[in-house]
Amino acid sequence: MRAGLTNLVEVEDLHVHFGAARAVDGASLHVSPGEVLALVGESGSGKTTLIRAIQGLQKPTSGQIRVEDVGDDGPRPKIQTIFNPTVQMVFQDPTGALNPRQTIYEIVAEGLRIQHGAGVEQERVAQALSRAGLRPPERFFPLYPHEVSGGQRQRVVIAGAMVMEPRLLLADEPVASLDASIRGEILALMRRLVDETGLAILVVTHDLGLAWNIADRVAVMYLGRIVETGPTEQILENPRHPYTRALLSVVPETREMEQQILIGEIPDPARIPSGCRFHPRCPLLQSGILAPEIAARCPTDDPGPTPVGALTSAACWAVPA
Amino acid sequence: MTSLAMQRRRATAGRVWKQFRSSRSGMIGLGVLLLFVLMALAAPLLADARELNPVYARAQGNPQWAPPSEFGPLGTDYIRRSAWAQFVWGSRISLFVGLAATVLTILIGSVIGIIAGFVGGKPDAVLMRITEWFLVVPFLPLAIVLASVLGRNVWNIIFVIGITSWPSTARLIRAQVLTVKQRLFVDRARSLGASGRHIVGQHILPNVMGLILANATLAVPISILTETTLAFLGLGDPSAASWGKTLEEAFVNGAMVRNAWWYFVPAGLGILAVVLAFTLIGRTLEEIANPRLSRAR
Amino acid sequence: MSEPMLSVRDLEVTYHGHGGHVPAVRGVSFDLEKGDSLGLAGESGCGKSTLANALLRLLPAGTEVSGQIILDGKDVLNLTPGGLRAARWTSGAIIFQGALHALNPVQTVGEQIAEPMLVHQTAASDSAARERVVELLRRVGLPAARADSYPHQLSGGQRQRVLIAMALACDPLLLIADEPTTALDLMVQAQVLDLLHDLKEERDLTLMFITHDLSVLTYACRRLAVMYAGRIVEEGPAWDVFENASHPYTRALAAAFPTIGDEASRMAPSGLGGDPPTPDNLPQGCPFHPRCPLAHDACLPAEPDLRSSGLERSAACVLV
Repeated sequence: MRAGLTNLVEVEDLHVHFGAARAVDGASLHVSPGEVLALVGESGSGKTTLIRAIQGLQKPTSGQIRVEDVGDDGPRPKIQTIFNPTVQMVFQDPTGALNPRQTIYEIVAEGLRIQHGAGVEQERVAQALSRAGLRPPERFFPLYPHEVSGGQRQRVVIAGAMVMEPRLLLADEPVASLDASIRGEILALMRRLVDETGLAILVVTHDLGLAWNIADRVAVMYLGRIVETGPTEQILENPRHPYTRALLSVVPETREMEQQILIGEIPDPARIPSGCRFHPRCPLLQSGILAPEIAARCPTDDPGPTPVGALTSAACWAVPA
Repeated sequence: MTSLAMQRRRATAGRVWKQFRSSRSGMIGLGVLLLFVLMALAAPLLADARELNPVYARAQGNPQWAPPSEFGPLGTDYIRRSAWAQFVWGSRISLFVGLAATVLTILIGSVIGIIAGFVGGKPDAVLMRITEWFLVVPFLPLAIVLASVLGRNVWNIIFVIGITSWPSTARLIRAQVLTVKQRLFVDRARSLGASGRHIVGQHILPNVMGLILANATLAVPISILTETTLAFLGLGDPSAASWGKTLEEAFVNGAMVRNAWWYFVPAGLGILAVVLAFTLIGRTLEEIANPRLSRAR
Repeated sequence: MSEPMLSVRDLEVTYHGHGGHVPAVRGVSFDLEKGDSLGLAGESGCGKSTLANALLRLLPAGTEVSGQIILDGKDVLNLTPGGLRAARWTSGAIIFQGALHALNPVQTVGEQIAEPMLVHQTAASDSAARERVVELLRRVGLPAARADSYPHQLSGGQRQRVLIAMALACDPLLLIADEPTTALDLMVQAQVLDLLHDLKEERDLTLMFITHDLSVLTYACRRLAVMYAGRIVEEGPAWDVFENASHPYTRALAAAFPTIGDEASRMAPSGLGGDPPTPDNLPQGCPFHPRCPLAHDACLPAEPDLRSSGLERSAACVLV
């Protein structure tokens, strides 16, 4: 599981603003080698913007992203600028992510060709396809994306990422657009890659069941901030932040909790509520069971972002630090 | 490109040809076009070039305005030249100018469209303002000014047509580039560390090429018609025989009044046929590229 | 016992296209009693959306439909065009998936909700229709002012509510919800499911809920039917079927929605190899056998029929 003490990627106080819309508003997280972190949130939480920034597809407004760079003198932290081959991405829509005019061979080889990678290209492509479960790989070389199934397309995307020998995989809803019965296989593949190569994965999802299936740790995102983070068992079985509790209560797969259906929808990122950004919808605040001195802080004082490197935290005044 | 890829490209070309073959209008267009191309290429075999020279024609003893007879399958014109020779040799100029001007149009239009669409920002704004200027300025006055300034020869005509026709191509290509740029596989290429050049070459261009080709096929008839118009207005190359020039000479020298149909009708029909041929081919290619269009049949 | 609200017998739907005949639904039969709720689960290519559209004859022209559909006492497949138009939206109404293209982008939301009322003349006048629109909007949890908004101005959850309001416009007896919560966030999905539940209780609606999300169905419906390759392969009480599947496909599908807190699925994602079959390329014998972990010789010769696998339960598997 956890191979070393140094973190593979550290995001510190990241801000990504689009004009007045603060899509990512002070988010911090880290991923260790060989670990799977599930970034959970609804649409409007900023989770996709966050990983696009980590991948280098989105320029941050402020904050730091540090990715471990494996250089000649061993691993050392490097400020992420635009592109880093040790970080690769798997996309939500496998059909859209593949150029319909490229053969599968060309798609998987593309990264190698761009980086003028060492070693025999064909061998590496075959190996990557095989490792992603497409066997025999030669059969897939001349095929076009529309000639294989949805699940196979996602495997091609994964092969295209793995051929670069990344240390970190950023997966944006990797199985959301695939049929339910084949999701398990793709998730099992991802888990296998972690176990076999020490890969770390940051998977963005709205599906808590997926986190239960493959994640070591979970970070919950709301309106641009991480509001709670911790080991999967803790977050999913014993959540502390009221938003996490509400989310878990409405997951059809959980039975034990009483449903807490929140009112309304996630606010516009251009109009973030004052104080604790969750307070207008917070069931805890509305229930009246909070001590008055805590309840008074919620609309006015911002609990602040979760600190970098924290293994467990919850950004809530009602949760003891 | 790997041999695998070449195989697939050939297979795709084969499929496209098969689809094209099944379209009656497309095949008619192709047949007509091939006919005229062969005629243009075989011009020396079909008609003696000397017959285009009025001095030679006079020396031959041809009468003026002779209908189709022993003086030529299409008779003679106002200065005794063979109308058939003008028809055959004229096809060369019309086709050549049409194609060359289109190549220029597509080249300029594509480059500008791709740069504007891909780079965006200020360069895009600047290029688009230039494009809009060219679109707004009335074509004919601009063509007349350019033709008179540059002088009347075939190359200048090609230049004039090219320089005034590229804007619509540029706009079309730019729009398509903008669409392709948004697609997820471009993001994927960027996440693999691709440079702008790689993305344009590997991803943008292949997905825009189809549009460029279809646009080109439909731009050729426009170029031919433009050349005809310019020649008809007297702006063409005086030494080059073209169908447009034939029509101009026919008009100026009263062939219509005389009802010397053998002189101007072939040229007119020739233009019509070639333009129609390209349009049919272009439409068929568009249908193949965009299957949604063909379902309406 | 009274007649069921909806009775389907041996329904078969075949599309005719460039590629030939595509059998999307290959013999489906079920009953739905008044006030009951049935969930229909399945993945791409199983035929569930085709089935939903067939119930109100909303399939493209040229589609071959055979069998029997009795809705509210009416023989749907043999109704005259006038009778069909009258039955649509008043006897049965469909709630579509709330994607942007389910609503007309150039009409306001209010106009679209009022449309069925005006078509069926269930509203006395334009102003009566307008009043009812406001009433419906409020019932689905949207402010009255929304009646003048255009679809693109609403969020996904709001659009879904508009579609629900539209389906209720003529007080239907049967509500068919076709993927109403797909593509919605967890919390919004919960809100929509809650709304549907309340509406059903309030108006004693009969509900048919179609989705690929098996876990949602166990929450929203009393009974559950699982479709594969154009047929129903398992049927029974929702909770029972989900927890204790008889058919290996249902078992695999249920495993794709792991129960949080269940040690067995922790770090153990389970799924099936292969892909759901496309209707134009079905395997011999039992269509599931190429992907089935329990496949053996008896699965090949013929496709198994639904057979009883317990109280009120049935499954189409030779092992049952």
